[in-house]
Amino acid sequence: MSTTKIGLLLIHPAVTTTPELVQDVKEGSTERGIKFVDQYLVNKVNDSSIKLKPSTYDVIHYLTPEKSDAILFPKKLIPVLQASMKPNGNFYGLSDIYKVDALINGFDIVNDSNDLYHWVNKANIDKPVSKLVSLKSTDSSNSSSSLPSFKKSVNSGKVLPSFKKLPTFQKKSDGPQIVKLADDNDELDEDMDEEVFSDFSKTQFFDEMDDEDSIEEDNLISEKGQNNVITMITCGKTKTSRKKACKDCSCGIKEEEEQEIDNIRSQQEKVVQFTEDELTEIDFTIEGKKVGGCGSCSLGDAFRCSGCPYLGLPAFKPGEKINLTSISDDL
Amino acid sequence: MAPNKIVILYGSETGNTEDFAKILSYKLQRLHYPHTLSTVGDFNPTDIINVRYLFVLCATTGQGELPRNCHEHSFLDKNKKTLWSFLKRKNLPENFLSHINVAFFGLGDSSYPKFNYAIRKLHARMVEQLGATEIFDRLEADEQAMAGSNKGTGSGVESVYFEYEKRVLEYVEKKFPKRKVDGQMVERVAIDDSIYLQPKSHLCLDQDSKSDNTDVKVTTPLKFTNDSAIRYGKVKKNKMITAPDHFQDVREFVFTNVNNVDHKDRYEAGDTASIFPCNSDKAVQQFLDTQDHWLPIADKPLKFTNGIPDALKSGGVIEPLTLRNILKYHCDITCIPRTSLFMKIWMFATDVSRMERGEGQLEQQRDKLKEFATDQDMQELYDYCNRPRRSILEVIEDFLSLRLPWEYCLDYLPLIKPRYYSISSAPNDPNIQLTVAIVKYKTMLRKIRTGICTNFIAHLQEGEVIRYNIYNNHLIREQYKQNPMVLVSPGVGIAPLMSVIKEEPQLCDNLQLFFGCRFKDKDYIYQETLEKWGKEGRIELHPVFSRDRENSPDTKYVQDVLWKLGEFVTNLLVEKKALFVLCGASGKMPIQVRLTVIEMLKKWGGFTNDEAATSYLKEMEREDRYLQETW
Repeated sequence: MSTTKIGLLLIHPAVTTTPELVQDVKEGSTERGIKFVDQYLVNKVNDSSIKLKPSTYDVIHYLTPEKSDAILFPKKLIPVLQASMKPNGNFYGLSDIYKVDALINGFDIVNDSNDLYHWVNKANIDKPVSKLVSLKSTDSSNSSSSLPSFKKSVNSGKVLPSFKKLPTFQKKSDGPQIVKLADDNDELDEDMDEEVFSDFSKTQFFDEMDDEDSIEEDNLISEKGQNNVITMITCGKTKTSRKKACKDCSCGIKEEEEQEIDNIRSQQEKVVQFTEDELTEIDFTIEGKKVGGCGSCSLGDAFRCSGCPYLGLPAFKPGEKINLTSISDDL
Repeated sequence: MAPNKIVILYGSETGNTEDFAKILSYKLQRLHYPHTLSTVGDFNPTDIINVRYLFVLCATTGQGELPRNCHEHSFLDKNKKTLWSFLKRKNLPENFLSHINVAFFGLGDSSYPKFNYAIRKLHARMVEQLGATEIFDRLEADEQAMAGSNKGTGSGVESVYFEYEKRVLEYVEKKFPKRKVDGQMVERVAIDDSIYLQPKSHLCLDQDSKSDNTDVKVTTPLKFTNDSAIRYGKVKKNKMITAPDHFQDVREFVFTNVNNVDHKDRYEAGDTASIFPCNSDKAVQQFLDTQDHWLPIADKPLKFTNGIPDALKSGGVIEPLTLRNILKYHCDITCIPRTSLFMKIWMFATDVSRMERGEGQLEQQRDKLKEFATDQDMQELYDYCNRPRRSILEVIEDFLSLRLPWEYCLDYLPLIKPRYYSISSAPNDPNIQLTVAIVKYKTMLRKIRTGICTNFIAHLQEGEVIRYNIYNNHLIREQYKQNPMVLVSPGVGIAPLMSVIKEEPQLCDNLQLFFGCRFKDKDYIYQETLEKWGKEGRIELHPVFSRDRENSPDTKYVQDVLWKLGEFVTNLLVEKKALFVLCGASGKMPIQVRLTVIEMLKKWGGFTNDEAATSYLKEMEREDRYLQETW
């Protein structure tokens, strides 16, 4: 083959710190009959700031300082590169880690001692793809069922009897189910390679953590409010009838609240008037003898009626003498 | 293990935003999304490179600042570089965060001029300048108007949050409908609400301890580990400085560093001290009594199954580690419970033996607790807890069906946080003086409400040891230190200004102090000192009393005196480039002072209309020449 092959040299950003690597490849290229007409940083191609022309290159050579079994390469870029190659074009620089992606995208893998490991673009020549695709789909169908063991049917609200790791002094009969999340097994299924390169180039900024040259925080806010687009909530719940007095309320809500407190307190004073004898008369547990007929007075504020004379007092046992001095004001 | 790709970062001052962040984290956990929950300040800056999905919830404080826990690490060196200080670096490229999808939730208070500035700053930097992709337009809630936030659309803070949560969950569920377990794809099914999620590390009995099975006695002095920044101070003075018959108890509280000779306390005027309070023994015992199965091991040595949780380290971890000590020094059992508490504990309402009315009552309590946990309106919770300022302890006492597992108490109980006080002593004075108003008030609850920290301070005796830290706020810019100053401080707002006035050498010979209180004879704090300074010419003193006709016949509030001396003060501000410092309670006061200043600028400052006067005031604010320190 005497004609010169049109080549593209793709460069990992870290290579820019060792220009001699690039030099080596370029010097070797004439021997291989390649002319590198283009040379790009791979992240520029990856973020589409450089668009490759279709069916242009005979050779693409990817240059990275990574070990061949530890190369991180964005898989989504492989079909992009394939499209920019001529049929039977050669792709150097990746390894068998990306074998499956190579095959899916219509490359053949050449791995013999006569030549450098590389892929050959056969995409538009034959179509060996379908079985691999199906392989992938069976793979995912295999796995859809197994649920984590603790996710068994849970009867809503009912107490579950299986208490893990019971301390010895504790009753074993009650208590809700407790699970420990196995966070370590749980991972996000994600195409995570999109940003490998930009990540790499970004890490350099962590080297000089002590750099003091910072932007002025106040300049972040513009008076004109161009960054003032916010999500508006138009159909919020309208149940919010709540009114709260401001710290320096002058509209009367504070007085209302104080009035309410005073009312409740004067109600409480009446409660104190019960003598011990009278209190024994009041047995909340007997039907028909409930104070006020509601039966909720002893249950605590969460269950009391809005005008209940016991509001503001702790829950108490029916029949128990309410001792207000124990809830002393200690002012 | 690689850092998580989903990260929730929050900045919180009062704890509201923190609770929303926890709720979001809890929901993600139930849906099996591995994620990291952290304050902005504690997040390791280099980990940002691994983040793909970022959810930022942030409150705004003071002069439109990010909350303290965004600027500082909670238990390591306070000067450690944080994510935010890193992101503000000038040399970052505009695609630096291009790998991140982000969604913002801001919580602000529209009574402050710089409403929701913190989230806007984060948004501007991360999205507009560093190239992060915003998943949806940010949400901003307004604390001020319970029924009027979100630009007056009638949605309360909660509904703004729950809208945010809904969008976040929709987004991640669409992105990751399935989950991968041991390499297998499975359907993503939420863990049932009634199952308690065990934290990564929790308490257990320390069987190896040599004091095995014997109760641990508390040693003095107390020992706290794992927070290298914490300091210890000995109380030197704790004196009520309002009249004994006055309703408000204000303390002059002085302490001095006792152990850290190697790093002296350096501070300037306007700096604050944080104090770590603890609960009273009585409150702790009351809590233990409601959980009587805790009593047998309350004083046994404990340890963690998987290391000390980071959140516990701020302020140091108590030693020896016993349940009683943990309740006393770490768990905030007297604060008002938040939604996240109920989310985590409602399923433990299981003890029918303490229900007078048996199963029915148990069911009733369980349902009510669950309602508090899940009701998005939060109306019931608000009426039961927030409005009467009911404490966690009181709630637990009302719900005796709760049989809580002590092993996880640090997971579901909120932690005690330090409280911050302005320093009143002269800069760098080793005797650190605070001016503390003891919080006490009435609600419909019979028992008087107190604040955990001021209550703690109120009961401290001379010689007792407290944990504290010093924070530099850089209140006054170096270039203004020689300018005349107009210092305005109703009530305990005087606290930081005392330090300004005491600075040696004296800052400027033209210090105008406008001090306001109710009665000359009751709450005119530091009266003697102030009057002495007035006589010596160190300051020009303008006191005013709002409920004291005799001593203050024609003026009531500080703004009245400002107006009365309007021409003189305006001249100082406009011609002499005076610094204006306003300190005191938040609410209407700072707004009224601000309006007064605008009117003064119009009348005497040569500004013809509102617009011109307001724009001058805004310029002063931008130049840090109009400072407002309110709380």
